[in-house]
Amino acid sequence: MDASILTIQSTAPEPIYRQIVEQLRRLIAGGQIGAGERLPSVREVAGFHAINPMTVSRAYGLAESEGLLERQRGKGMVVATGTGITHSLQQRMQLLEPHLLQTARQARELELPADAVLRRLRQLLGD
Amino acid sequence: MNAVMNMEDPPVDVPLTAHGISHSYEGRNALLGVDLVLPRGSVLGLIGRNGAGKSTLIRAMLGLLEPLHGEARVFGEPALSLSDASKARIAYVPQQPEALAWLSASQMFDYLARFYPRWDHAFVERTLKRWELPANRVMAKLSPGERQRVDLIRALASQPDLLVLDEPAAALDPVARRDLLREVALRAGEGGGTVLFSTHIVSDLERVASEIAFLHEGRLLLHCGVDDTKERFARMWLPSGQSAAAPAEVLSRHRHDDGSLSVVIERTADGDWPEAATLPGARVDALGLEDLFVEIAE
Repeated sequence: MDASILTIQSTAPEPIYRQIVEQLRRLIAGGQIGAGERLPSVREVAGFHAINPMTVSRAYGLAESEGLLERQRGKGMVVATGTGITHSLQQRMQLLEPHLLQTARQARELELPADAVLRRLRQLLGD
Repeated sequence: MNAVMNMEDPPVDVPLTAHGISHSYEGRNALLGVDLVLPRGSVLGLIGRNGAGKSTLIRAMLGLLEPLHGEARVFGEPALSLSDASKARIAYVPQQPEALAWLSASQMFDYLARFYPRWDHAFVERTLKRWELPANRVMAKLSPGERQRVDLIRALASQPDLLVLDEPAAALDPVARRDLLREVALRAGEGGGTVLFSTHIVSDLERVASEIAFLHEGRLLLHCGVDDTKERFARMWLPSGQSAAAPAEVLSRHRHDDGSLSVVIERTADGDWPEAATLPGARVDALGLEDLFVEIAE
């Protein structure tokens, strides 16, 4: 994989290191990056996105402590074995949960009917 | 996160320390007792409205201005009497570059390269082209924006241990700004470089800064890690019936016309929001740095 696979939204309230960990979690759970695949170096990610290298190190460190990544001698960070497609439907749904909660809250505040929201979501999912 | 400072025994290689700096212009207060420490490897974004005192603080920290009170040190030496060796480790880009206007950019770079052992010729060539600067025209004939871009190249090419940029974003278009941020990011951290830059463009700071300092009306309101700031503060809205329950000590408090109240709250030592956040009708919203800045500077 390459640093361009990540997206950084610097103005979001969520700190950049958390954005990176979240994206890695989703990419690994969804199978877009597989066990043993090498991650771009801290410097590559920092240079590509013009972000502080310490932020990238912190994200990689956190992902490592959560078992998503592992440090391999001579290769840097790789996706840990035992992650990836083994995630159940339930586990992957769990990752989406915070975003669904937020969408539901906003839909209620806007007093949108549930079927209109669901219809749009279905469209977005290409169903 | 304010670093503990002991001025009796200042650490030798701390790039910048300011202790109790106050200054005023013609009786108008510009800085009021500012304490600030910049550890090695950090990238500090100094943010504040126009006239908040950012340039004055930078000049005082570098010894370019003698404050009425307080003391600044650079690499452990008093800022007002810096050794040549320390001066050679610093690059500073003021908002209005003034020096060497009778030279062209190329002539100035050739001249300066002799004094800096780590001068990065390749970076100069590459960036002059990328930033579309006429390298052979005398600088007096460049626009103010072009002059500042030349000055930024000069500062980065010397590969300083301490890089200080006063409102660097003003002269740059979005592509050049991203280039500058990339350079700043890669020189800090593991590179060991230390950077101080002032800005009122918050999104720049969010990308590369490791720490952020809010300067407002001459006072330092907040100084902490960027990630920490985003996680530690939030805006709480209370309906009018509940507004009495708001914590007494908050960073900012705005009463709305309908009696409802918005306050900026901070997590307790256990990482929880204050109790009022659990009241029925209370709403807690995460704050980006720009929102936080507007909340507390208004």
